[in-house]
Amino acid sequence: MGKRCFLSSDISPNCSAFNSFRMERDGNPNVMLELISSDFSLFVFHPSVLVPRACCLLLIEMVGICKQDMLQKKKNAVLVDGVILNGPIMDSKAGEKFVEEACKIIMEEVIQKANDVTEKVCEWRAPETLKKILDLEMRDTGESHQKLLQLCQDVIQYSVKTSHPRFFNQLYAGIDYYSLVARFITEALNPSVYTYEVSPVFLLVEETVIKKMIEFIGWEEGDGIFNPGGSVSNMYAMNLARYKFCPEIKEKGLSGLPRLVLFTSEECHYSMKKAASFLGIGTENVYFVKTDERGKMIPEELEKQVQRARKEGSAPFLVCATAGTTVLGAFDPLDEIADICEKHGLWLHVDASWGGSALISRKHCRLLCGIHRADSVAWNPHKMLLAGIQCCALLVKDNSGLLKKCYSAKAAYLFQQDKFYDVSYDTGDKSIQCSRRPDAFKFWLMWKALGTTGLEERVNRALALARYLVEEIKKREGFQLLLEPEYANVCFWYIPPSLRKMEDGPEFWQKLHEVAPIVKERMMKKGSMMLGYQPHRGKVNFFRQVVISPQVSREDMDFLLDEIELLAKDL
Amino acid sequence: MAEGSGLERPGLDGAAGEEFLGQALRLLLDEAVRNGTDRARKVCEWREPRELRALLDLELRPHGEPPQRLLQRCRDVARYSVKTGHPRFFNQLFSGLDHHALAGRLLTEALNTSQYTYEIAPVFVLMEEVVLAKLRELVGWGSGDGIFCPGGSLSNMYAMNVARFQRFPEGRQRGSRALPRLALFASQESHYSIEKGAAFLGIGTDNVFFVRADERGKMIPEELEKEIERAKSEGAVPFFVSATCGTTVLGAFDPLQSVADVCQRHGLWLHVDAAWGGSALLSRTHRHLLAGIERADSVAWNPHKMLAVGLQCSALLLRDTSGLLQRCHGAGASYLFQRDKFYDVAYDTGDKTLQCGRRVDCLKLWLLWKAVGTEGLERRVDRAFACTRYLVEEVKRRDGFQLVLEPEFINLCFWFVPPSLRGREGCDDFWERLGKVAPAIKERMMREGSMMVSYQPHGARVNFFRQIATSPAVTRADLDFFLDEIERLGHDL
Repeated sequence: MGKRCFLSSDISPNCSAFNSFRMERDGNPNVMLELISSDFSLFVFHPSVLVPRACCLLLIEMVGICKQDMLQKKKNAVLVDGVILNGPIMDSKAGEKFVEEACKIIMEEVIQKANDVTEKVCEWRAPETLKKILDLEMRDTGESHQKLLQLCQDVIQYSVKTSHPRFFNQLYAGIDYYSLVARFITEALNPSVYTYEVSPVFLLVEETVIKKMIEFIGWEEGDGIFNPGGSVSNMYAMNLARYKFCPEIKEKGLSGLPRLVLFTSEECHYSMKKAASFLGIGTENVYFVKTDERGKMIPEELEKQVQRARKEGSAPFLVCATAGTTVLGAFDPLDEIADICEKHGLWLHVDASWGGSALISRKHCRLLCGIHRADSVAWNPHKMLLAGIQCCALLVKDNSGLLKKCYSAKAAYLFQQDKFYDVSYDTGDKSIQCSRRPDAFKFWLMWKALGTTGLEERVNRALALARYLVEEIKKREGFQLLLEPEYANVCFWYIPPSLRKMEDGPEFWQKLHEVAPIVKERMMKKGSMMLGYQPHRGKVNFFRQVVISPQVSREDMDFLLDEIELLAKDL
Repeated sequence: MAEGSGLERPGLDGAAGEEFLGQALRLLLDEAVRNGTDRARKVCEWREPRELRALLDLELRPHGEPPQRLLQRCRDVARYSVKTGHPRFFNQLFSGLDHHALAGRLLTEALNTSQYTYEIAPVFVLMEEVVLAKLRELVGWGSGDGIFCPGGSLSNMYAMNVARFQRFPEGRQRGSRALPRLALFASQESHYSIEKGAAFLGIGTDNVFFVRADERGKMIPEELEKEIERAKSEGAVPFFVSATCGTTVLGAFDPLQSVADVCQRHGLWLHVDAAWGGSALLSRTHRHLLAGIERADSVAWNPHKMLAVGLQCSALLLRDTSGLLQRCHGAGASYLFQRDKFYDVAYDTGDKTLQCGRRVDCLKLWLLWKAVGTEGLERRVDRAFACTRYLVEEVKRRDGFQLVLEPEFINLCFWFVPPSLRGREGCDDFWERLGKVAPAIKERMMREGSMMVSYQPHGARVNFFRQIATSPAVTRADLDFFLDEIERLGHDL
């Protein structure tokens, strides 16, 4: 526990007293003198480093010289509730230096190593071990900058390198320098996007980006908002559809109403269920529509489900189609689904969080054919386009201000109507959040840097690499595709030599089921790469390889397969 | 085959990217960190939307732009953005720039991970646990649960949903239609997210019973009792009370002990929205404002406000230790939360959330805490109180300034009565004219860029200023400047 004191009064500057004190930062007398001369107000001593005697003597001399000045200053000091208000409480110069040092570490340890395949993807430690290695405890007194920089190094060392070319574990990966610059700027400016007054630049940027995304969907006009994640975008859409269906629910709530029912495919993202429960709709009122063997919603089954709901006397209001399912990467047939929605007067939402980026590619946008008929679309540029977590847009076809009517609360302290500028720019009331991050900006800067063509190349490249991997898998012994992928999700089993001769039967599948978790464990402990696996709808554990990062080359694809063989050859 | 071309090499130029990043970091340190906090420079560089749009050249085109052009864009973005870290930005409940937290945020961005599984975010899963435990300790709980949310509004909604689930677990599956009409309670002064939450969750805004507050903005416990009775008499089922610690406009603290008594009596979930006031828990001098908070079932607390951690850093804390949060929100997605992993999957905490991908919000707070210690944070809180105290005395001393009320927190609410209106307090049009003063001063200060402070009408009160000084960079000189500047900008009105 440090002793807090006012230098001028609490300590009498004699040598013995000072000898018993230890000094903040390190024992460097220059640092000490700088501190004394720049800020007299408040000073913390704590037991970190012993002050050398020579330094003490120097200090006493200095205190003597400054005493006159200090007394004068103390006289003018504004003391409120025991706090001196003259001078800031923080040392900006030292703070800036710390940020610079931290930036250096970030550049050296994160950025420059991101392209180096000889670096590990992860430095695995079991939770209990890692707890001991990381000094996580938060204490009463602060630590020196040197110690803090060491802590930052530790954080980096034991964090998974999601920008490593051999990180294939999630639907995001890689590094884009431009979006990263925008993200750094965002952090330094620390804005919140609710009013033009506080975030003029970022509001206009968001408006521009949304307009551009809408253009790719194929709408003439529309509305939209950036959200903290695709799950939240899906919730927004669900609530919006409900509001359109029955606006009074906003005021009256759902109690006692007929059953509202929504439809989505068996392969949809789990956020549909989470949303239905959060919004009070209830998970049993999510009707899951059967998919074909490729994971695509079967329109005839949708029609049947809608009929069933009607027969039950419930109120269908929404269909959520998926463009790019999480595991298989399947695209629902949007045109046919849109026909059914039109026929029954249902809101069509498309969860294109993962697949939306294909819209940028002239070659692959046909995967989302019919998306212009949707009422709302969720699209996360942080996935395939590497905009950085999080960058998620909900786009809405409506042009009548539905989003605002649905969400607005008209807080008088934030959205004053007597401002001196056009308050239609204060778009924050469209959100369920209050403060909100400017997530469109990173996408904007990246787009400026790469142009639409650069983004398009990125998508084409990812899908070409996936294609390459598929062909390799077909060629190699022991690898077996689950299905021919239509997107960047390559799902496959690896059958180790010992299982290759086994007869197809429950025992075979049980054994195969155990392969992926073991391979995963081995790759993580080795740190050579990261790749996801899962069981899925009756199928035993298989790998899901996702190619996104433009750093990835063919060699990495070959490595992936070689490495699996290497890790699993004895299984 | 055309598809194969170029796949042998990486599809982006790492060296060029790194160089660009290096230049941008220098720019950022100069423009945002140094200049953005420099008193000699403007807080904002006001431009009308149309003009700004043209200046920024926002359009997105087919082809990319060269690095120098992009750096110029970054400079423009910094130039025309409001400097929320400037010592004279008093406009919102957040301000200031803390260098340690900033370093944590830059690191978070560089590491770009999502906080759902130990596999993907080992360091941050453990860190979040430690940070939440520390915050709970300050609330007064030895155990519990929690999660970082994208904003206090969502924390409040989470709490509402967990409370509903605890009372009616079947509602998760069957929906609220199968439940009775629910009623929840919050003071008139509560944050608007309570209403938004009720709408979003399908409870309905009509079922938010607003409890009257006293003249200082504090919920009146007897009125809460009455509202509960009224709800019951209407056939509704009360389930949730949200008390506020630090209301948005007036900075009022609801009397938690009495409110907790009422909740206990009626068996209601007590949520405390301490998004703004929670940081007072760090101060031994001021934590009495939240006396009784340990009796709450859930607490929302945003360290990004008073502690200058950076947007967003919002914790929802729960007293529950039975895994309610997980049961309420969990979906058990098999592609993410595989049960046959080789480590203890209890560390895969991401299924407690409504989100799937979730930003790492703990590192910045943790690093700041490591840097200044609990004592350093306490000093900041004490100092913010002292700044407000100082201003209150100054406002009382100066001609033309009139307090709306004696603040108990750090929201300084006051009117500035320009010379032309002084002594005309009895006139019919006094309040109407006074209501036009704040917007006019605000316009002038923004056009000059000298500072930023917020104003609003509130209840029956006409527009008044609400000043907030949380930045540790603020000094007495800035506070004097603030009042002088209002006088200067408003003297001829």
